[in-house]
Amino acid sequence: MNLLKLLFALCIFGTSSIIGFSYGQVFTLRYENLLYLEQCIKILETEIVFATSPLPEALSNVARKGKARVSFVFEEIKKDLISNRRDSIYESFLAIEKILYENFHFKKEDVEIFISLGRVLGSSDRLDQAKIFRLILNQIEGQIGEAKEEKNQNEKLYRSLGIITGIGIVILLL
Amino acid sequence: MKNEQIIFNNLIENLNGELRRILSNIPVDYQGKIEEIRLRRGRPLMISYDGKDYLVSKGGEISSDMTKAFILADNHIQSSFQIISNYSPYAYLEEISRGYITIRGGHRVGIGGRVIYGNRGIENIGNISSLNIRIAREVLGVSNKLIPHLIDRTGYFINTLIISPPQCGKTTLLRDIIRNLSDGHYHKQGYKISVIDERSELAGMYNGLAQNQIGIRTDVLDACLKSDGIIMAIRSLSPDIIAVDEIGGERDIDAINEALRAGIRLIATIHGDDLREVRGKPSMRALFQDKIFGRYIILDRSKGVGSIRDILDGSGNSIGFKEV
Repeated sequence: MNLLKLLFALCIFGTSSIIGFSYGQVFTLRYENLLYLEQCIKILETEIVFATSPLPEALSNVARKGKARVSFVFEEIKKDLISNRRDSIYESFLAIEKILYENFHFKKEDVEIFISLGRVLGSSDRLDQAKIFRLILNQIEGQIGEAKEEKNQNEKLYRSLGIITGIGIVILLL
Repeated sequence: MKNEQIIFNNLIENLNGELRRILSNIPVDYQGKIEEIRLRRGRPLMISYDGKDYLVSKGGEISSDMTKAFILADNHIQSSFQIISNYSPYAYLEEISRGYITIRGGHRVGIGGRVIYGNRGIENIGNISSLNIRIAREVLGVSNKLIPHLIDRTGYFINTLIISPPQCGKTTLLRDIIRNLSDGHYHKQGYKISVIDERSELAGMYNGLAQNQIGIRTDVLDACLKSDGIIMAIRSLSPDIIAVDEIGGERDIDAINEALRAGIRLIATIHGDDLREVRGKPSMRALFQDKIFGRYIILDRSKGVGSIRDILDGSGNSIGFKEV
């Protein structure tokens, strides 16, 4: 009987801890994905400003060179752009908005900053494009800073909360 | 589906979605004949064929009635330009600063707008207000019957000048002559030909690949000034023949003289109605004094685009060529 109780308590404690860790992980994932997105945008900047690769080719190169966990969205944008003969690249950015929310744990502001790149991407000469990339990268950097702070504050908090809640329930039940 | 229709359908893939829909509704018989599509902001959608302009309605009907015409808005021009430039105007700045972009298929899109000057001269065109899409159509075989008249008994190519008013098919004829001479179907072996394609119309280069058939022994200097290209070809490509479109500038003539001194043969085109008019051009005087050309091909539209009115020898006498 005591063994059964112990197993039951361990189960409750484990489940509660896992839930706590999962909540905490969301902050880490957002932070990491923002870092990878920043890296991808920097590759795109190099492709456009220095290599003057045409946009579809530049997007494919980013998908290949960037961290696959995030960079696949650039290939999705390219596919949408070419297969639908979109009137502007912005429409293709909007088409992948859902992926950004569902896969990356991004906040609304993160997504909006990235989508805003689509409004101006490729539409001007290289000097202007360089300025636009600086602006977007500065904004992403701001989001990364905020995500890091949130991660540091909340990750431990949710983990500890999961563990403590588990212990609490176990004590109450026993 | 006819080849001309396929060309047209592929071309309109480069336009804004609404324009694609309208143009695809143009009656099939006309689609194959269209020479130009003109997009001007706030103006009617126009096409031209057989040397005349026509307005296009929202349903794709062709007429001259302004009230039925489809009026183009800014987004039609801007989004078409985005697609034409592969969503990458920054990658085509050199072409844009020359006033046109060559797209897949060798079609040329002329750009109208605000010209922006920088330290290096024209650097860009902003506020794009019009696009002129000129449809490139190869007509393979138009020169087949001509070739024997352009080669002498010893097998040498005779320097040839094609004289024609605008839009009478001189570039098409020149392209096919280049193909025939280069491939060598009508003589023992083909000639090595250097094409100086200043306006990217002859070869229609796209991403380093000629979109038109210009023969197996042909090298192309694309988007290169004729005067520079002729000298570069002499130095590095060792051609038997140099081909250039629309000569006339004084620097072109100097470069041509340089090529002739190097023993290279020449085929060129020039704007003009007849030999007398071309002889009267001051820049051409030296070439005529030296009797450089042994053949003059005179084109007009009397029997449709590309009709050969006559072929003259170096003295201006007809050689009796009859187009069947």
